[in-house]
Amino acid sequence: MDEVLQQVAKLITEVVGPDFLLGVEITRDTTFSDDLGLESIEFVALADKLNAHYGVDLVAFLADMDIDEIMAMSVGRLVDHITARV
Amino acid sequence: MSRFLFVVPPLTGHVNPTASVGGELLARGHEVAWVGHPGTLAPLLPDGARTFPAIDDVLEAGIRAKRERWLALRGMAVLKFFWEEFLIPLGHSMVPGVETAVRAFRPDVVVADQQALAGPVVARGAGLPWATSASTSAELVNPLRTMPKVDAWVRDLLHGFAGGDVRFSEELVLVYSSKALVAGEFGDEVAFVGPALAHRVERVGFPWERLTGGRRVLISLGTLNGPAGERFLGQALDAVAGLDVQAVVLAPPRPAPENVLVVPSVPQLALLPHLDAVVTHGGHNTVCEALAHGLPLVVAPIRDDQPTVAAQVVAAGAGVRLTYSRARAADIRSALRSVLDEPEYAAAAGSVRESFLAAGGAAAAADRLEKVVAG
Repeated sequence: MDEVLQQVAKLITEVVGPDFLLGVEITRDTTFSDDLGLESIEFVALADKLNAHYGVDLVAFLADMDIDEIMAMSVGRLVDHITARV
Repeated sequence: MSRFLFVVPPLTGHVNPTASVGGELLARGHEVAWVGHPGTLAPLLPDGARTFPAIDDVLEAGIRAKRERWLALRGMAVLKFFWEEFLIPLGHSMVPGVETAVRAFRPDVVVADQQALAGPVVARGAGLPWATSASTSAELVNPLRTMPKVDAWVRDLLHGFAGGDVRFSEELVLVYSSKALVAGEFGDEVAFVGPALAHRVERVGFPWERLTGGRRVLISLGTLNGPAGERFLGQALDAVAGLDVQAVVLAPPRPAPENVLVVPSVPQLALLPHLDAVVTHGGHNTVCEALAHGLPLVVAPIRDDQPTVAAQVVAAGAGVRLTYSRARAADIRSALRSVLDEPEYAAAAGSVRESFLAAGGAAAAADRLEKVVAG
């Protein structure tokens, strides 16, 4: 599980660029919306990377969530989803 | 002679297309009125335009204060706030004023901006036909289609307020864009009329004597939102400092390189013919007005419909997209060099311009509205 968290953090860093994560440690509690402020184009890029790396469909994962769940979506929840699927 | 009533929110970008279409209807001898916030309408409408109040200054100030809070949000919280705190309450607030306007003006057709939900509600109650004025094309392609639960949540809010999805009239949806930008199949009620620019009144001055020779770009990011806006603007100023261009920057006064002219507002339609490219956050009006002048774009979308609009520009080949919260001076400079120096971008923008000319603009919109009256 730690391994998945590390890998997801690495992929997020690749998408966002390391300069913009200075001082922000990506943990299970980090939210995509509020903490990372992931932009829509970055979200698409992350989805591509997750698909390539794990064969996980991020869009399908989110398709099942309501607006409050998407707002609260954290790195930990994505990690759990990947761990359960892989 | 018919009577047309435009229902609009207190937002410049939403009033502007109606100012043009309303101006065309007036020129054809029809009676036209607007209902919304008088203070927002006055500078944008033709002299002597008939207006009715549906939003007073107190409510408008409240909306602006809310907007400030909204601009600080990120991600899905933007959408939640937009619907729950802005669009639905605005709809409720505007109903009485729109009812009064309908009783006093007795329109044959109500033309409601897509963000003036009171328009369709009142029109239906009065048994009047109504048309949609879609000041962005993004809703047509439903950016929420990949999130069905969020999409259903929006529809539920609309049903709760209006008993249906009043974002789209079944009779006529005026879209100020063209098929060159918007992909997909649409019903006959959807009219792609291109940007409506005729009859627009621009009362803002501009220091024309300060334009220099050579190539010029406009940097327009809408209302600057917080630290992210300041960051992007700072990077953009650094980016143009190293380029052989003059940049007109729409922003509050600030220190700037010698080749930069900072102005608080611009008469955009008058300025565009003097430009070579536009850097923007991807507001639908600014993007389509730039393309109507064949200008290539650098688009750094922030929120709302802007990512959709940016994707349309990139798909059409008419510009380069940047990441608003992270683009650096070097990225912005390189994007500007591309759209200025590589002729494909201007050629693609020129193709979109042709499609807009063919779409007909305000005259085409007026034709379609006259047909709604004829039934």
